[in-house]
Amino acid sequence: MIHFYHVTKKFDLYSTALQDVTFHVEKGEFVFLTGASGAGKSTLLKLILRQIRPTEGQIVVNGRNLNAMKRNHLPFFRREIGMVFQDFKLIERMTVFENLSFILTVLNVAPREHKKKAYQVLRAVNLHHKLNAYPPQLSGGEQQRVAIARALINDPLVLIADEPTGNLDPDLAQEIMQIFGDAHLRGSTVLLATHDRDLIQVSGRRTLVLDQGRLIEEKPAVVERPARTDGVFGLS
Amino acid sequence: MPRDLREPDTPSNTVSYFVREAFRRIWVTKRTSFVAVAMIAMSLFILGGFVLVADNMERAVERWQGKSHVNVFLDIEAAPDQIRAVDGFLASHPDLHTRHFVTRAQALERFKTYFVNLSQVVDQLDENPFPASFEVEVTPRIIQSPGFPAEMKALRSMSGVEQVQFDWEWLNRLRRLIDIVNAVGLTAGGILAVAAAFTIANVIRLTMLTYREEIEIMRLVGATERIIRGPFLIEGILQGAIGGFVAVGLLFGTFVLAQRLLAPSNSLLWSFLFIGFLPWQKIAALIAGGMLAGWIGSWLSVRERVTEEA
Ligand SMILES: Nc1ncnc2c1ncn2[C@@H]1O[C@H](COP(=O)(O)OP(=O)(O)OP(=O)(O)O)[C@@H](O)[C@H]1O
Ligand SMILES: [Mg+2]
Repeated sequence: MIHFYHVTKKFDLYSTALQDVTFHVEKGEFVFLTGASGAGKSTLLKLILRQIRPTEGQIVVNGRNLNAMKRNHLPFFRREIGMVFQDFKLIERMTVFENLSFILTVLNVAPREHKKKAYQVLRAVNLHHKLNAYPPQLSGGEQQRVAIARALINDPLVLIADEPTGNLDPDLAQEIMQIFGDAHLRGSTVLLATHDRDLIQVSGRRTLVLDQGRLIEEKPAVVERPARTDGVFGLS
Repeated sequence: MPRDLREPDTPSNTVSYFVREAFRRIWVTKRTSFVAVAMIAMSLFILGGFVLVADNMERAVERWQGKSHVNVFLDIEAAPDQIRAVDGFLASHPDLHTRHFVTRAQALERFKTYFVNLSQVVDQLDENPFPASFEVEVTPRIIQSPGFPAEMKALRSMSGVEQVQFDWEWLNRLRRLIDIVNAVGLTAGGILAVAAAFTIANVIRLTMLTYREEIEIMRLVGATERIIRGPFLIEGILQGAIGGFVAVGLLFGTFVLAQRLLAPSNSLLWSFLFIGFLPWQKIAALIAGGMLAGWIGSWLSVRERVTEEA
């Protein structure tokens, strides 16, 4: 589902954000990505969305080689990916509902279903009472949950989250992890960047560890992976 | 398994979004939008003004004179046998055979119905100033025939004939004048419309700059350029349409005012330029022109990508 082959990313001549990274995330997996601040987690996730391009190496996502993808195919590719950005990337001029409704417009969901879908997903992140608030009126954690709701709203094939619990208290973080788990069970392939060791420990899932741009470790899952094989849950 | 990446966007979903967004953005950038709308309105007003004048000139010409006539105006005091002689002359020439006699009273009546504004002026006169005349229908082929000038000369020299008027002479001159008025209007309005389009382009470019971050977000979540740019295009078209409506409104106001101020007692010349307002087709064309200018303007600015990927 997500394949990196010797990927290197340099932003300038002197620093290397990612160095010769190779890994594979299969369909239906739930994988953590961790590492110290500045290790290159966000860079790696941005590469998956083709928000940025690699300096070297090949990336294949959903069976598509990102280096060879045509520009006019890009939007349709991105629609298959739900991304929670580290800086949320909410449209500040739009209310919470309008932010979600916009995504549904992009995803070609009929307008009459927008209210229902937005409400459902906001309920899941416990923000249904903030439907008409503007992002700047929300706390950091609330904005983060709107960003999560937006990524989840249409059951994406691939769900990518950059530090999705960074602004949340432990209880809420646990709840959010539950939501990602549910999305995983519904068939999404999940890649989640975090430096919260406890969160990873508790889950016991497979983990990729970055250090200064290099992939230094791959911890396999310690418990049996749920939904590892297709068809068990029949929803992928 | 990769799906086809080029699924079409369903329009019904996006069109309402486009329109809502366009209205919202116009409202958010009301001050710059106002400039764009004012520019469009001004250029269309000027264009429309010229067209209106030309239109009325044309209407006046068509009402007062037939299409291809030779008017043989008789002396006010022409004797009946003189009139009979002229009639005989016309009857004996196959080219001038189709004729119609207009009495003095008929001429007066006709003038009154054509120029309602002026009828009071005429009523104040002691005497009917209009001469009787023969209206002779001729075809352009006859006019161009070599014998025609001689026939006219003979006609003119008959006693009791005051004047022989070939309307196509001054009609042609007037037509040329109308063409000039139209051309000047089109040129001036066209130049201004181009300026207006560029104003709109800049307004939209400005809007897009303020929306740059948001546009980038839209791209990241999979919005096509069509969805991103749609509202900007609609915004331009809407500004153009508003400008068009304002221009037509102003034009109508000016027209009504001019009609009042330039009443018959004031000016003979001017009043006939205000017979009627523009026909609906030309009003529609003006508004459509505004929309076109708005669309071109927004298209110009939207065409360039505001942001590039890293
Ligand atoms: N646009 C950019 N231009 C230049 N350098 C960049 C850019 N983005 C990231 N970097 C550099 O690349 C390195 C990796 O950054 P990245 O954001 O991927 O780290 P991260 O692992 O996500 O860190 P954090 O946990 O703090 O979010 C850093 O040294 C950063 O300074
Ligand atoms: Mg980061």
